[in-house]
Amino acid sequence: MPTTRHTLNHQRRRQAREAASPAPAAPPARTPEPPAPDRAGAARAQRQATAPGKEAPSRDTATRATNPARAKRADPVRDTPRPGRIRRPPRSVGLALLCLLTLVLGGFAGWAHARAQDLRADPAVRNTALTDAARTSEIKGQTEKAVAALFSYDHADPAAYEKATKTLLTGKAVAQHKALLDAVRTRADQQKAVITTTVTDSAVERVDGDRARVLVYADQSSVSTAGTKASASGKGKQSAQDEGTYAGAMFAVDVLRRDGRWLVSGIDTFGR
Amino acid sequence: MEGTARTARPLARLRSLPAVLLALALVAGGFAAWAGWDWYAAAHDDSAAYAVQRDRALAAGEQAVQNLNTLDHDDLDHGLDLWESSTTGELHDQLASGRKEFAAQVQTAKTVTTARVLSGAVTELDDRAGRARVLVALRVTVKAPGGKSTDKDSRMLGELTRTGGQWKLSALGQAPVGGSSAG
Repeated sequence: MPTTRHTLNHQRRRQAREAASPAPAAPPARTPEPPAPDRAGAARAQRQATAPGKEAPSRDTATRATNPARAKRADPVRDTPRPGRIRRPPRSVGLALLCLLTLVLGGFAGWAHARAQDLRADPAVRNTALTDAARTSEIKGQTEKAVAALFSYDHADPAAYEKATKTLLTGKAVAQHKALLDAVRTRADQQKAVITTTVTDSAVERVDGDRARVLVYADQSSVSTAGTKASASGKGKQSAQDEGTYAGAMFAVDVLRRDGRWLVSGIDTFGR
Repeated sequence: MEGTARTARPLARLRSLPAVLLALALVAGGFAAWAGWDWYAAAHDDSAAYAVQRDRALAAGEQAVQNLNTLDHDDLDHGLDLWESSTTGELHDQLASGRKEFAAQVQTAKTVTTARVLSGAVTELDDRAGRARVLVALRVTVKAPGGKSTDKDSRMLGELTRTGGQWKLSALGQAPVGGSSAG
């Protein structure tokens, strides 16, 4: 407020001195602009600061007057430059530099963040198969066990199979598995056969968080025990006289993690 | 009068401006430091480099396996050149030494063999030694002169070796069925 009064006083004096000139309109136009936080403003402020002599010195002083008493006593003599004034230019230069620094830092932050995002968005990096060794071997192990349980069937112990289908499958894999295994199961029941599936090789193709895809090579052996009395303990060990057939299979399974376990959520038999 | 009253507010604001600017600069500095560190970490991530090698090995492995299961009796030289350029080490030597014999066989059989990679994955990768093992599920189509074509699925096991910055196949075989009771 004292600033305003000072300005008013000053204006009145000016008007008295140069009655003909359009002074009242001039001062607001010459008011030093507050350095705006944009680059253009900063640059303008800097320009003003570098040429203080050309600006009306009285207005400059007006902005600095903080003491009401001094403002009242103000007279043309006191408006002449004083040593204190010299500190004004560095301040606006400092502010301008601060603005510039903010812009540069902000710009760098945005750019660096974008670069980091780019690097992480790379599909190769998102896929943590092998790079996350612990998770990869966990997936591999659980998938091999799940596949062995899901594709094995003992006519004498259907409960184990039922349990596997209920606990290891989820989503569309339930229907896919049913389509693949139902016929096999019926035949096994008729022939009193034991079907054993062993995963011979497997590799984790992709791991993306709680989802993964595993390529599986498996061997399926079918041992008919029709001649002998089937016993649960002799599972898969009836040999020689029973005709054993082997078949190699390859397929990919999608697995997803739920409650700390990897469940089969899709079976891709490559169109076979 | 009105003009001077309007100048008063910016002037008052001017006093808090340095503090605001300083705060903004500090916030920007904080972000810049965090983003810079984040970027550095992302760029120098060992597992990222490993992931890139894994994908390169797999891409090269799949391509090489496909190349080695593709052959047109009408374009033997080109096909066999591709076989040799896709391989290294012992496998390369075997192919090179058996080339003439094999070419003669294919020429009399007049078959066109094409292959499609169904799926592939890396099982092992030694980034430093430049060795990798891959599984490649392959569907091979053989077209006999009569126009009949048969599809056969192959469970390929490949071994890759990095030579001169490039991954090449150094061993290739099919996963045995029901053999050796491998568990």
